[in-house]
Amino acid sequence: MTTPAARRLPLIALLGALLVAPARTGAAAGPGPAGPIDPADPLLSAAEAELDRLWTSLRARPEAPYFISYGLLDRVQVDIVATHGALAPVSTTRVRMGDVDLRVGSPALDNTHKLRDAGWGSEPERFWVDLPLTDEPFAVRHALWRATDDTYRAAVRRLLKVRGNDAVKVEREDQSDDYSSAPVEVDLGHVERLVFDPAPHAAALKAASARFLAHPAVHDSNVSLSVQDEIVWTLNTEGTRVRRQRWHLRLSVYARTTAEDGQEITVYDSVEARAPEELPDAAELAALVDAVAEKVTALRKAPVVDPYSGPAILRGRAAGVFFHEVLGHRAEGHRQKDEDEGQTLTDMVGKRVFPSFISVYDDPTLTDWGGVPLTGSYRFDDEGVRAERVDIVKDGVVKGFLMSRAPIASQGRSNGHGRRQPGEAPIARQGNLVIEVKDAVPYAALREQLIAEVKRQGKPFGLIFDDITGGFTLTGRGIPNSYAVQPVTVWRVWPDGRPDELVRGVDLIGTPLVTFERIIGGSDEVDVFNGVCGAESGWVPVSAVSPDLLVKEVEVQRREKNNERPPLLPAPAAGGAR
Amino acid sequence: MSRAAALFGLLALLGGGAAAAAEPAAPVAAAAGEAEIAAAAQAELERARALQLPGQPPPYFAAVRVSDLWSSTAAASFGALSFSATSPMRQARVDVRVGDYSLDNSNFAATSVDREGVAIVQMPTDADALALRRELWLSFDRAYKGAVEEFSARKSALEGRPPPTVGSFAPLAGPPVVRGAVPGRALRPDAAAARVTAMSAPLRGGEFEEGKALSRDYAGRRLLLTTEGTSTWEEVHGSVAVIEATVRTADGVRLRDARAWVARSQEEQLPTAALVAEVEEMAAGLLALRSAPVEPDYLGPVIFEDEAAVELFRQLLQPELGGTPPEEREPDPYGSPPEVTLSARVGRRLLPSGWSVVDDPLADPSAGGAYAVDHEGVPAQRVELVEDGVLKDVLMSRIPRKGAPASNGHARALGNDRMEALPSVVTVKPGRARSERALRRVALRLGREAGLPYVLIIRRVEPLGLTEDFEVALSGDGPLSGLTRPLEVHRLYPDGREERVRGLSFTGVDRRVLRDIAAAGPTGPARTVLDGPSGPARYSMGAIDGLRVSWAVPAVVVTEVELRAGGGPEPRSAPPPRP
Repeated sequence: MTTPAARRLPLIALLGALLVAPARTGAAAGPGPAGPIDPADPLLSAAEAELDRLWTSLRARPEAPYFISYGLLDRVQVDIVATHGALAPVSTTRVRMGDVDLRVGSPALDNTHKLRDAGWGSEPERFWVDLPLTDEPFAVRHALWRATDDTYRAAVRRLLKVRGNDAVKVEREDQSDDYSSAPVEVDLGHVERLVFDPAPHAAALKAASARFLAHPAVHDSNVSLSVQDEIVWTLNTEGTRVRRQRWHLRLSVYARTTAEDGQEITVYDSVEARAPEELPDAAELAALVDAVAEKVTALRKAPVVDPYSGPAILRGRAAGVFFHEVLGHRAEGHRQKDEDEGQTLTDMVGKRVFPSFISVYDDPTLTDWGGVPLTGSYRFDDEGVRAERVDIVKDGVVKGFLMSRAPIASQGRSNGHGRRQPGEAPIARQGNLVIEVKDAVPYAALREQLIAEVKRQGKPFGLIFDDITGGFTLTGRGIPNSYAVQPVTVWRVWPDGRPDELVRGVDLIGTPLVTFERIIGGSDEVDVFNGVCGAESGWVPVSAVSPDLLVKEVEVQRREKNNERPPLLPAPAAGGAR
Repeated sequence: MSRAAALFGLLALLGGGAAAAAEPAAPVAAAAGEAEIAAAAQAELERARALQLPGQPPPYFAAVRVSDLWSSTAAASFGALSFSATSPMRQARVDVRVGDYSLDNSNFAATSVDREGVAIVQMPTDADALALRRELWLSFDRAYKGAVEEFSARKSALEGRPPPTVGSFAPLAGPPVVRGAVPGRALRPDAAAARVTAMSAPLRGGEFEEGKALSRDYAGRRLLLTTEGTSTWEEVHGSVAVIEATVRTADGVRLRDARAWVARSQEEQLPTAALVAEVEEMAAGLLALRSAPVEPDYLGPVIFEDEAAVELFRQLLQPELGGTPPEEREPDPYGSPPEVTLSARVGRRLLPSGWSVVDDPLADPSAGGAYAVDHEGVPAQRVELVEDGVLKDVLMSRIPRKGAPASNGHARALGNDRMEALPSVVTVKPGRARSERALRRVALRLGREAGLPYVLIIRRVEPLGLTEDFEVALSGDGPLSGLTRPLEVHRLYPDGREERVRGLSFTGVDRRVLRDIAAAGPTGPARTVLDGPSGPARYSMGAIDGLRVSWAVPAVVVTEVELRAGGGPEPRSAPPPRP
């Protein structure tokens, strides 16, 4: 079974956009049981030795590198999936890989410089290698040697193209360097292997998944648990040595049905945790399954909404994803430099683009919000730079951008937001995006404001976006700068006091600058969205923290739908064929 | 989840994979559950008969095939494990056909619809009939709807044109086969990891740029049920190990060697010590090759021996022996009827006079490609394919063709591929078998007549799944090579001296070179390879994927083969590390 996030991957990769899987977060608890790790860190030692040797060797070449960095990954992952009361094979995988960032030329102009008007496939080649699962120094060094040598030769070839391209093209709009300096960091944080016994969790998932059998409207479903223990090293020729560890557990519940009009309805909910103890207990898991099953069942019968524009409330998690898409991606530093990007905010620093009651910042150093773990947390980014809080919008005014080590005209240094999926080149990405509003009101009052706005505009109803499945945004110049947020549960709110009505079949769409201006209020209830974001540097964990927001006018369009008939035969029943 | 699965999961977390475990892990085997699998498959197969959309036909045939096995895959470089995974797998393939035997939805590439009458689903490994049934229920539903759409598209393509002269699906020629449950063999989960670690260790001397070993073992059972009454259980098991190494010459030319060992089971795989010995021999040869002379372009007689002879025959002959017609296609937008060209053509001369080719999956049950019942549940048959050098019969699945309306038990398929006829255990016999010395005399005489100072002996050619060169049968600016690259080439001088050379690729080879065989030795022992349906995908199958086929072939002298020099220098920028 595919999660919504996985199914969207090709689209996201193409568009350079974001998709997030919705998540609920378990109660925070202390670290789980730990296993010792060799304090000598033989993997790091072998990589250091090879980095030093190759630095010396390649510096003697006519076109010498000015910087080399290695990223190393050691990830153990256990996946448990239960469907209809039965288990699929428990999968345990271990991956060790390394990749190389090697730069020739100079920080002012190096091989990573964008080739303008060069089209697809002109990006710098990125080489990564599988590393041995055992700490075998020669095998580690040999793999890194091959990757480094391949990277070096590709870098020299590309630098020749860069110099030619830069000479032929007009002067760049942004004259900043290709790479900035960064403080040398040495932080070999303590790491301990997660010891995880899958057996009790498998039994719990199996029992929970059987609960879907009581919901005939659910055609397909599963309950799964993904457990990751990931150690990442960053080391470079400047002397930085950073080692980070992340335990990440995600318990997911997925259910699918097909409505009579052919629309496929999927509901996905998940709980993020940092240790097995934070996972829901049997009763909580049962409640989660029941809630997903009931939501699917209700949505199957819910009416489809026609295209509409009017006032709406985005509940906290939906608002978080909304800001992540509409603002967050446009605040990523490299987009201010890339002349193919729409650059919505590039020249807006110091200018007001939001109502003055809104502030937005990204702070990866936050580990929790109100006791809820934030999955977008980290201390050092993937370039070995210490993470910093960045004010993006303060009192409605644009203040700055999220930066990797690729500088831009207005910001010359990294603020610790260079992130990537292992094997990809880091770019500026979001971590924990936090939206704050002044003069917040209780949610009930915000709902009253929604109804008042509906009446004021003479609209037949308003909408409340309760939960979302993901979203994406388009940021390039060659296409309309727009966004889409894909809700799961949308409620129609009638101004005459009728009960709210669950509806389906719409996506929330719009363009950024117009949308920014139309936020007219927020509540004092804050919720956390934990998920993963896919963009040019791959998938990274992110969080968004937001209050409920009232928007004067949103636009919804019909959601893309299948035209599949529901299954022709009833589901098989226990005890024999029907 | 079985205890074994849970234990392995924990061990892998604690110790970094199966190879890290100090004690050999206990064997694993397909969990009990034949009764639940059979009950679930039978129940949903029966229910599938009732599938019917308004105004559309119900299925006239449905089948379900459940593979239930353990698989263990591992990779290592330079003696260090880089990947290891052992897990159970239970996968079902359902087939649904609408129409009738004379015209149905199958064997038709409907570009206007995005589904087909075949669905694949991964199933829970628990013995839970209801959970298994739910997966099959949705799969049959999907396959039926796909079959209806395919059938509509096919009828549309035929509209206004004469109906096809051959049927879509051959009816069973005899009573359906019924074979009872089989236990399924156990699998040692740590064997593949130990094997690749040992195999790649001899390459860690520092001279090799790449030194990778990859291996996969699997063992289990497979159930086939059809609405015609076929009900067969069969054991499935196999083992494959491959090694690949590269070195670079002093002037920067990359040299590569690769070998594969395919066995019927984990138990029958070569002992690790023997594999290591073969790797050591390969490694020594590759190191020596660095100082071997570079062979310039060559046009002349070539002796194909050993594994090279197997690759020559299997790469060139297989497309000529399989009788499965290509899929029909929809007319193009201008309404032109698509052309269907049969590759194998009865009556075509494939080999010199006196030669014969026989495929017999039953003759030697210990042969790698042997089986008793094919993937469609049809009993295997011996087929005399080539007589006196001319193709007389073809291998058939239940997809009929003109002149061959019935299966002869050679259907085999990977995943959701259609059930094409593939070779199984092939024996190629020359009309006259000569001694090795006589073969060389013939080759040298032909070389002399062509004005050459020496001729070439090719002993090994890249196995199909290990080729790096996807141009072999696809596209390119120049003529296609037609045969994967030679790995071991020797000059043979008139005085009998041999000298290994490097740097050659085939060019312009096709089936016609087989008619150009000037002499042959006696048919050698059968060698088992992994293979797949003929076509471009055959050249990108992957090193450890495919279906087993055994080939027993003679060494041959081909009168004229063209090879071109290639692979210019590209030196490394930094020297490799030393161990």
